[in-house]
Amino acid sequence: MTSSLNPVFNHAAAALAASAILLSGNASAQDNVVKVGLTEYTTHSRTNGVTGIGVPAGADATTGNATTIILVYERMVTPNIGVELVLGIPPRVRADAAGTVAFLGSDILSAKNLGPTLLFNYHFGQSGDTLRPYLGAGINYTRFIGVTSRLAPDVQMSSSTGWAAQAGLDYALSKEWSVFASVAALRVKSNVVAAGTTVLQTSIDFRPIVYTFGTAYRF
Amino acid sequence: MKHTKAWGLSLLTSVLLAACGGGDPTIPGSGSPAGAPNTKGTFSAVVSFGDSLSDVGAYAPATSLAGNGLAPYFGGKFTTNSATSTVWVENLATTLGVVVTPAEVGFAGSSVKCPAAVAGLGSTCTGYGQGGSRVTDPNGIGHATGALTVPVVTQIDNHLNRFTSFTASDLIFVYAGSNDVFTQFDAFTTAAAQIQADAAAGKLNPDQANAALFVAQTAAQAQMKLAAQTLAGYVRDKILAKGGKYVAVMTLSDIADTPFGSSLPASVKPVLTDLSRIFNLWLRDSLTGQPVQLIDTYTLFKEAYANPAKYGIVNNTVPACDAAKINAITGGNVTDGSSLFCNSTVGAPYNGLRTGADVTTWQFADGVHPTTGGHKIISDAFAAQLKSFGWI
Repeated sequence: MTSSLNPVFNHAAAALAASAILLSGNASAQDNVVKVGLTEYTTHSRTNGVTGIGVPAGADATTGNATTIILVYERMVTPNIGVELVLGIPPRVRADAAGTVAFLGSDILSAKNLGPTLLFNYHFGQSGDTLRPYLGAGINYTRFIGVTSRLAPDVQMSSSTGWAAQAGLDYALSKEWSVFASVAALRVKSNVVAAGTTVLQTSIDFRPIVYTFGTAYRF
Repeated sequence: MKHTKAWGLSLLTSVLLAACGGGDPTIPGSGSPAGAPNTKGTFSAVVSFGDSLSDVGAYAPATSLAGNGLAPYFGGKFTTNSATSTVWVENLATTLGVVVTPAEVGFAGSSVKCPAAVAGLGSTCTGYGQGGSRVTDPNGIGHATGALTVPVVTQIDNHLNRFTSFTASDLIFVYAGSNDVFTQFDAFTTAAAQIQADAAAGKLNPDQANAALFVAQTAAQAQMKLAAQTLAGYVRDKILAKGGKYVAVMTLSDIADTPFGSSLPASVKPVLTDLSRIFNLWLRDSLTGQPVQLIDTYTLFKEAYANPAKYGIVNNTVPACDAAKINAITGGNVTDGSSLFCNSTVGAPYNGLRTGADVTTWQFADGVHPTTGGHKIISDAFAAQLKSFGWI
């Protein structure tokens, strides 16, 4: 999966990983956390309209939501600061025709979004607290794979690199186990070029809000 | 130093982009042809492939005054015919000091190839355009009623059969696809009429009707895409690969900008317009990086249509030829006012011009074809393009 990351992300990830390793010298025991969560990926997309020869003014598309499973690895670099990498099973997001071309119906474009996210988290409270809220900020890289459209045989979606932010809450069940819930906002934009008999273009700003709950294990 | 380097790099990048036609490779049609000559040519022939707009008299026998297919003819070109009336191909040839005559002349099953050869002018028979011709389909518009409609693919093959190859002294024009637009537009309007009837009868709800119209429009567009890609293939494989150097390929104009176009309901005009635009998109895409020059008639004609006064035009909405007069002159055989049968000679009994019309200040001879003045606007615009290419 890492090999699919773009250079910008690779550099950023390398820099963050390096700082994580440098800082980790001070970390206490139980500074690794793995989480499994169920995620609802909700989009609040806006496009700049769909343009192309033969496309009526006011043509648009809306994107749907998706559910997937995410895996998170967080490395605590101090008792309060952690660096986490979020990977998910790429969910398939579908788009429906909207505006003046709503008659074209649903599922006119679908793609799986492969979107690793790297976040710096600040955990409030202290190690051992039952409830620990946290805030995080970082970057998301999203690449669209398996892009298909019944309107055009050749569809391309550009990859996206953008900010990510989250707020979460850990509830400790034991020293090792906890459950968590989080909400994250990402900036994911993609330029779409769909070539069939005509060439359709649009830019989709997905504006996703990602709701996750799951289980964490510290070691 | 740093700046120089950056400039050098960006210059290199732009050269590389220009060399491969530029554009965004993910967006079809965003590139351009590249590598055509940029030096003045020494032209001994104008070789023109196309349809009625480029027709230099293929169907003259249909306008025989004696009615026996023999000269003299009262029509023969798709314009306001007269002894001095010329079409754009002839105008450009005259500018270059060369002569172009029809590669084939005939009607209703009989035809003569290179009729100028009997006068020792065999090398001038390089005007291949024929009214009704399509890109590939030999069954062009009017074929069923006697028009030759030799398709462009065969027009090019005929040239290769006669001359073996093209040369650097040929100025080559490829201007075809409008009859494919008409054919696909007909197919669309036929389908649309059925869809509307079904919707009116309650067999389709509005969304279903819209979806069906979309399918019909997409099918017509797909045929235009195919026509453009096929035509570009002929340009590559039959012209460039056979020695053609100075090759100008025309995009299609917006046929909605004609008296025929303005007679259409507003709802279907965009369909007609988009058939040309789709053709142009894929023509450009298929010729990206090829050593030809595109002459974008879509832009050129739209500008002229929107600014008639600038070009000395006072009327671009009414055909200069009178369908009723042509009907009478042809004994009721031609009812659609086709300019092929339109003569503008003052005082001639076979003059088919509308009373008050002028062949230089009115743009259109019939629903779609230019008057003599309209053709001059075209040849002036094309000559300016050829100058900008550095060819003339």
